[in-house]
Amino acid sequence: MTARAPLAALTAPLALLALWQLAALSGVFPTQVLVPPADVAETLWSLARSGELERHIGESLFRLGLGYLIGAVAGLAFGACIALSRLAEAALAPAFLAVWQVPVIAFVPVLVIFLGIDEPFKIAIVALATFFPVALATFDGIRGVPKAWFDVARVYRTRIPDLILRILVPATVPAVLTGMRVALTRSWVVLVAAELLAADSGIGQMMEMGRQMFRIDVVLAGVVVSGVIGFALDRGAKAIEHRATRWKYA
Amino acid sequence: MKQVLARPAARFAIGLVAPLLFLAWWQWQASSGGARALTFAPLQSIGAALVELVADGALARDMFATVSRSLAGLAIGGSLGIAMGVSMAIWRPLDRVLGPLLHAIRQVPLIGWLPLFGLWFGTGQGTELIVVCLSAFFPAMLNSYEGVAHVEQRYLDVGRLYGFTPFQRFRLLLLPAAMPLILTGLTQALAFAWIASIATEILLGAGSGLGVTMQLAQTQQRLDVILVAIIATALLGFVINTLFQRLRRHLLRWQAAPL
Repeated sequence: MTARAPLAALTAPLALLALWQLAALSGVFPTQVLVPPADVAETLWSLARSGELERHIGESLFRLGLGYLIGAVAGLAFGACIALSRLAEAALAPAFLAVWQVPVIAFVPVLVIFLGIDEPFKIAIVALATFFPVALATFDGIRGVPKAWFDVARVYRTRIPDLILRILVPATVPAVLTGMRVALTRSWVVLVAAELLAADSGIGQMMEMGRQMFRIDVVLAGVVVSGVIGFALDRGAKAIEHRATRWKYA
Repeated sequence: MKQVLARPAARFAIGLVAPLLFLAWWQWQASSGGARALTFAPLQSIGAALVELVADGALARDMFATVSRSLAGLAIGGSLGIAMGVSMAIWRPLDRVLGPLLHAIRQVPLIGWLPLFGLWFGTGQGTELIVVCLSAFFPAMLNSYEGVAHVEQRYLDVGRLYGFTPFQRFRLLLLPAAMPLILTGLTQALAFAWIASIATEILLGAGSGLGVTMQLAQTQQRLDVILVAIIATALLGFVINTLFQRLRRHLLRWQAAPL
């Protein structure tokens, strides 16, 4: 790629920003409807300086981290369980696939009834959004291991721990990591939605409060922050995925 | 064990054990009295809610509203997405100008737009539809772009040999070659539009729809109604998806068997 390409890529967004600034300053639209981008940047800056932004991001990422951890561990265990045991598959897979048909967001009302609208609800919805993709990817990953490898392991009388550590884990890591990356981006979306609905802190709540107070600059600042975080999560997960599966292309 | 699992009837029966155990546990929680019994709706009240919602037509109305919202979003957002993706792939300057912007917009969690759209367009059904359209737009755009941009060079070479006009090239080469990916994009767009419909209905609660009913039932602590709506959501999602897969196979029947 030439050095000109990034510049060209920046031209359009910059032109749009300039256009937006001009349109906002022209007075055709009231400032409550169209806030100049400079104001958004200023709001973002003052939110960052007062520590408010840091608190919201911290709260959101804490929920994301804890819920993700719970969901990923449960998903890994469940996926491995139904992939390794035909009986477990017959017993649990139909119910799992039936629940899989429901968009995770539709469980929000149920979880609110059982858990209220506080912290456990948000962690639970993130865990749920993480669980399904991870479980499915683990199942597919393990089932994708060639049967011959198990046969070889049997011939060598490989013990179960060795079988898991030296055959199953390396063979399934790529599929599982892809599932975990998908789960991460999805759970971020679900968390923002849950925070919009009910929270006293977090990026989603910051936007919802901004909406209720007609502070479109705060809302737009939230849009920018949630976009950057989503992008960073996806990129980070992709980098890890790439690093962990490098041996495949070596 | 293996012989037992090989029989479909036996597999079916084994698959029923876990759900039945769960239902029994649920019923026990609901009827055991105490504080928790209030949250757990007993099975007979879920059944009664189902009968009630079916009888007064509320369930049918909600299902119709959610499905038509998804399909309208798919039609509008999906066709705009295809048009944008195809144009960006054919005409590179457009890609260079709009591409970075669209990819930046794509990073924001879809639901994150709700507060902004709420301010701009109100918290009514219009905003719901806009978010659903937006959710269908991106998968359609990305896949159509990929499909048209990565048409095999040898097809294009043949086109050049035959002296195709740009329109012929588009109509006879690019479009058919991109069709599988365009349809993949539409399938994803449908799934996204379906989820976005439920999500916006839950968050905004405007108009009617399965999500609106769930949200309302949550404020009234009617778990039975929520569960009926969830079951309807699952069934509808499954049916729509299956129908769409059939349609896709039908449209692509000219293709060689998938690799």
